[in-house]
Amino acid sequence: MKSDREAMSQERKAGLLRRTSSSKKTLKEKVVLMYDEIFTKDDPAKSNPRFWDELFLMKVNLEYLEGKLESLDGDEVMVKENINSLFHHCVLALEDEHQIKVVNALQTLCALFRGVYQKNKSATGFDIINMLVGFDKAELRMKNLMESLDSLLCGDGSESLKSLCLKLLLCLVTVTDNISQNTILEYVMINSIFEAILQILSDVSSRAQHGYDAVVLLALLVNYRKYESVNPYIVKLSIVDDEATLDGMGMVVHQALTEYNRQYKDKEEENHGGFFSTLTNMVGSMFIADADEKLSVQTNEAILLALYEAVHLNRNFITVLAQSHPEIDMAATPVSTTPTTPTTPLGTTPPSLDMMHNPELPLDPNLQTSNLLITFLKYSSIVMQDTKDEHRLNSARLCLIILTCIAEDQYADAFLHDDNMNFRVNLHRMPMRHRKKAADKNIPSRPLVCAVMDLMVEFIVTHMMKEFPMDLYMRCVQIIHKLICYQKKCRIRLHYTWRELWSALINLVKFLLSNETTLLAKHNIFYLALQVVNLFNMFITYGDTFLPTPSSYDELYYEIVRMHQVFDNLYCMALRVSTNVGQWKEPASKVTHALVNVRAIVNHFNPKIESYAAVNHISQLSEDQVLEVVRSNYDTLTLKLQDGLDQFERYSEQPKETGFFKELVRSISLNVRKNVSLNTLSQDVLLKEFSSIS
Amino acid sequence: MGDTELELSPSHLEELQKSPSASSTSTTSSLSLPSSPSSGRHPFTSSSPSASEGLPASSPPLDVISEGVGELSLVIDTEVAKKACQEVLQKVKFLKSDGETTPASFKPVLVNGTAHNDSREGESGELNKPSKIGEEEPPPGSVKSARRRQKNNSSKQSWLLRLFESKLFDISMAISYLYNSKEPGVQAYIGNRLFSFRNEDVDFYLPQLLNMYIHMDEDVGDAIKPYVVHRCRQSINFSLQCAWLLGAYSSDMHISTQRHSRGTKLRKLILSDELKPASQRVRREILQPPAPCPPPLHHAPGLNEHGLSPSKRTHQRSKSDATVSISLSSNLKRTASNPKVESSQDEPVRLTPQREFIKSLMGIGKRLATLPTKEQKTQRLISELSLLNHKLPARVWLPTAAFDHHVVRVPHTQAVVLNSKDKAPYLIYVEVLECENFETSSVPVRIPETRIRSTRSVENLPDCGITPDQRASSFSTVPNYDNDDEAWSVDDIGELQVELPEIHTNSCDNISQFSVDSITSQESKEPIFIAAGDIRRRLSEQLAQTPTTFKKDPEDPSAVALKEPWQEKVRRIREASPYGHLPNWRLLSVIVKCGDDLRQELLAFQVLKQLQSIWEQERVPLWIKPYKILVISSDSGMIEPVVNAVSIHQVKKQSQLSLLDYFLQEHGNYTTEAFLTAQRNFVQSCAGYCLICYLLQVKDRHNGNILLDSEGHIIHIDFGFILSSSPRNLGFETSAFKLTNEFVDVMGGQDGDMFNYYKMLMLQGLIAARKHMEKVIQIVEIMQQGSQLPCFHGSSTIRNLKERFHMSLTEEQLQVLVEQMVDGSMRSITTKLYDGFQYLTNGIM
Repeated sequence: MKSDREAMSQERKAGLLRRTSSSKKTLKEKVVLMYDEIFTKDDPAKSNPRFWDELFLMKVNLEYLEGKLESLDGDEVMVKENINSLFHHCVLALEDEHQIKVVNALQTLCALFRGVYQKNKSATGFDIINMLVGFDKAELRMKNLMESLDSLLCGDGSESLKSLCLKLLLCLVTVTDNISQNTILEYVMINSIFEAILQILSDVSSRAQHGYDAVVLLALLVNYRKYESVNPYIVKLSIVDDEATLDGMGMVVHQALTEYNRQYKDKEEENHGGFFSTLTNMVGSMFIADADEKLSVQTNEAILLALYEAVHLNRNFITVLAQSHPEIDMAATPVSTTPTTPTTPLGTTPPSLDMMHNPELPLDPNLQTSNLLITFLKYSSIVMQDTKDEHRLNSARLCLIILTCIAEDQYADAFLHDDNMNFRVNLHRMPMRHRKKAADKNIPSRPLVCAVMDLMVEFIVTHMMKEFPMDLYMRCVQIIHKLICYQKKCRIRLHYTWRELWSALINLVKFLLSNETTLLAKHNIFYLALQVVNLFNMFITYGDTFLPTPSSYDELYYEIVRMHQVFDNLYCMALRVSTNVGQWKEPASKVTHALVNVRAIVNHFNPKIESYAAVNHISQLSEDQVLEVVRSNYDTLTLKLQDGLDQFERYSEQPKETGFFKELVRSISLNVRKNVSLNTLSQDVLLKEFSSIS
Repeated sequence: MGDTELELSPSHLEELQKSPSASSTSTTSSLSLPSSPSSGRHPFTSSSPSASEGLPASSPPLDVISEGVGELSLVIDTEVAKKACQEVLQKVKFLKSDGETTPASFKPVLVNGTAHNDSREGESGELNKPSKIGEEEPPPGSVKSARRRQKNNSSKQSWLLRLFESKLFDISMAISYLYNSKEPGVQAYIGNRLFSFRNEDVDFYLPQLLNMYIHMDEDVGDAIKPYVVHRCRQSINFSLQCAWLLGAYSSDMHISTQRHSRGTKLRKLILSDELKPASQRVRREILQPPAPCPPPLHHAPGLNEHGLSPSKRTHQRSKSDATVSISLSSNLKRTASNPKVESSQDEPVRLTPQREFIKSLMGIGKRLATLPTKEQKTQRLISELSLLNHKLPARVWLPTAAFDHHVVRVPHTQAVVLNSKDKAPYLIYVEVLECENFETSSVPVRIPETRIRSTRSVENLPDCGITPDQRASSFSTVPNYDNDDEAWSVDDIGELQVELPEIHTNSCDNISQFSVDSITSQESKEPIFIAAGDIRRRLSEQLAQTPTTFKKDPEDPSAVALKEPWQEKVRRIREASPYGHLPNWRLLSVIVKCGDDLRQELLAFQVLKQLQSIWEQERVPLWIKPYKILVISSDSGMIEPVVNAVSIHQVKKQSQLSLLDYFLQEHGNYTTEAFLTAQRNFVQSCAGYCLICYLLQVKDRHNGNILLDSEGHIIHIDFGFILSSSPRNLGFETSAFKLTNEFVDVMGGQDGDMFNYYKMLMLQGLIAARKHMEKVIQIVEIMQQGSQLPCFHGSSTIRNLKERFHMSLTEEQLQVLVEQMVDGSMRSITTKLYDGFQYLTNGIM
């Protein structure tokens, strides 16, 4: 039934074409006729020896061809051979000196891939390969195809051609929902185009035009059967050490993220335009989530995945993160930017091209020097604001994973803490009722790690909600822990307002306690509580190695004593759960053990403070008075040394994160497939371009 | 012969004696000084014998050829130059005699010259010379008549010749005669004689030489040019230095004249990079003649070709000489060690990399100046430098360094912007690799920032590391990876990331005592208790332990960077550098000044250097620290920073202590060895700089311009106001030098021994300086030529400078003078007033 209907629609399309073309567009009709010939006759070249030559001289009718392929009956052996033949001739045409033929061959190939896959969705990968290329010749044909694509990508030829090549590859890579089931990619593994991608990224002008597609392609290829076999793209990406290339990759990511940040900011400004709009915004947010909706620019997971793979796999890439950016492309501007690609690039947020090749940094004093890491932090701060939407949740999770990798890297830590590299990082903060939006200008210039800390604190205080993002909180607390471990190890005394972190963490515990029942149904809240308590233990026992001043140590005690109720309650709750039999018995008892020093502090200082108040007849002690009590009573307090406070589990993608990445890649594939459009590359533009060349 | 010598006029005698090196028997000094010929003249005495002995023994130079090529040029040059000198002198005699009517004989002169050579050096080989010269001379008739007319003049000439050939004749005297002599022949002789001095000695006077070349008459220029051209061929560094100095010293001329001036022309010639060593033709020439003694053979025809004009001929000769030696040396070197350099293609860009390097540094300075705040400047600087890093390593170097090297990396995060109101001088640290010769040694290979990972990968994955060459050759097909190769499973990649420099592998010293405890406690399982009070105490102790680091101040970013001990900084940067493991790794630093005229600084540097060597020679323990200056144009340049030193202003602002208390804090109590050493250093440097300030009339002496190093020395910087110029001509700072009560306190008060020592040092220093006044005056006087610098404002600069040496005073009178100056300076309210003025206007304490 279904195929019948499709056949009818095909008929209609063809018929329509025929009718209109009979008057003028004979060309179109001819190409359709020729397609038909391929699917009906024995060998189209028999009757017309120049059949293939002519075919590739004609404008491709993608729609028709794809539809035709989809409607085919898969069992027709004869048709299979003709399809193989079409594929073969497409590959041959790629080497033709006529650029038009190359263009048409590329587009035809694209339609072939799509059509055949669409038709044989349920078939195994091998059957599809057989249908497309023919088993016996597949290895050779695919090798030829990849070689042709490689030389087209690396050659001095037209930029539009390169663009088409990348689109074809993207089309091929995303033709299945699950990239790992796309067996034909084995040939792309064997016949690597990795070097071609690198070359595109290392060259300034080609990067400006194709960098985005190249980076997305690379990110996808790296994820092909990542966990099952050795993927040469992973191996190769991990050892790239050419700085120009790595910088290029960084630039592409930087541009895409910057563009996102800019779009977001524009929308934000639109929304907060004047008094009235702020008012409506307030009212609006009260009733419908309309304002939020407006603000959400769709995230770009493909580019984020590329950043993750680069950071995770390639240690050299870490240096790129700190590379200052606005003026990086000092090299010559590309010859022309306008004519080639009027396409909407892949994904959802097209990077604006003109930003890519800024010959020299404008001498604008207000222009902040930036780098990829800063841009990424800003991006993260926007993405993390709202994690309700599935895509944003994924993006936020990926951001935190990337930050985890960064926090574990020694070199990254070195520049995060570099006292000479101070920046103002304007993170986006969620507008909340109980706090004002911090004025941007007041942010001091500090080492980058402060911005990371701020981001973490910001996340902690803004996500205590019903749909508790447990895993994000865990990652968040772990990132903080890793950074503090580094500071302890290297004795770096960061001048950071630790108090904000302490109170955020205490509030988090408070939230966990008050929502115990609902949260315990879904999450192991004791694990998170344990992490939080251990952070405090780090400060209590190793504070001498990384706190900036003696008074900051006093403040830590002050904060613990001030909020002692939270710790008391946590202890009671953990004790209660640990005495019951149940799944939380063990984690809960761990929390009670971890609390030993916090409790010692509370129990030691509380009576002292009370007696101080009694002696001096003060009902409410001031902060200074409490601090005074704290300072004078250290010596009688004994703490217990706890094991392994400064040890952490290193991040590893396998096996914990595999599920997440599989799903992520699937969603990226779908998105890319949806957006890859060959039609938009207007034939006229190409014709114009090539008429002068050939 | 004896008669002629007696005829020497008193003025010449005086001149001979005035020339410093000839004064071994002159004025009795209160200080014991070693006989001058042997001390302090080493450079010359070592090279001069080889010059005079070279000719008779023709085999040694050949030996040298076979062994080391480097020396060859020197040997040939001196030999030839000496010969040329003598010829020129004789020419001079002829020319001179033309104008005189008294009949003279040439023969005595010749005999005279030879005889005294014999008598002094006892070399029979010299006898060859007259005959050879005789052969080369034009028709004998004219010679005879010339000889006849020569007689009276001969005595003078012989004296000069004796002086010129004596061991006492050093570069300083050569410069002096070049400047003062009005006789083209003498100038030409000295021009040739320059070849016989050590390069380093002449380099010191390069500003003088070039300034004379630009601003004095043609004869002087002609005399200097061959030498300059010769050295330019030899060295890229010299070429660039010349080009920069020529540009800077020509800048005071009118635009119209400047364009056609000889200085500009020479500069263009150098920058066109036509002065390359070695051409194929010349090399063939030297290879053709049979082995023994090629240079003389080579010369004879040259002389005949060029007739009488002495300057032209010497020019030609020295040039061919230069090319011969250079071509030989470079060819040998190239074929032997570094075949890559041999390709002639890389010669056109001989000067380019370095010029580009300097240009980009200056460009950064210009762009920084447009930014309003220090913070923005610093950020921008760091990012600009990180870009510069992409182009390194390259065949570039810091001209202020004392050794050959290639710049490999600029640790960009270490760079700081210095304090300046409207310009943006900045300080960068530069990692270099020392090498034998920066022109011929190959440029180091770039090592990526995170080297550990990449080296590891290359080892493990030989077939995966695809080089660009492989890539270029063909489309690469990657073999299917067999799964046995577990080395490259994803997990392993993750593990590699763990492997990081030092801290991860052996971090015992980085882990606090507690962590060690915590590790051991895991084994024992017995709870360990700690006192909270200990943690708190340790925290405050550790913070107290590092009081000598300055606090970060966004308005004064350089203070922290400069306070950090140099060795520590070197260690820190070395650890973080991918090149740090190389044995020839060095760290240099340089201040890049853009928009500032450093010509006065250079002049001051030369004077300081001269005085330093005078004091060293006279064994006066004064301490000064001349820092190197590189003039790039009349408004840009580089300065070698003084390491381990911060300005007194920064000291006072950061420590909030008096200078004496700061000394006590930094070095220990009054009686400690460290304090006493620091105090002595302070006194010696103070005395040295007080003299400098007096002699040069250094003004603008606020605390921002006086540095204090970690050993207690003070160092004056910024010589923007010296001699005839003073800031805004407000008439401030009328005292002889700056001596505040704080300084006296550090010395132990007015009644202390150290204060007396201070005054004694000043006296000794002044006496020593007076003795060698000419050497100091000369430096300044020559630079006055054609200069519009403010320090030469007015007509009496040199006269006033001379007066400050007080040649006429007795030592007792000098002592009184020193007392008066010290008293005056101490009591002077103007110093205090000026400091107050600076505090009000610039916030300098």
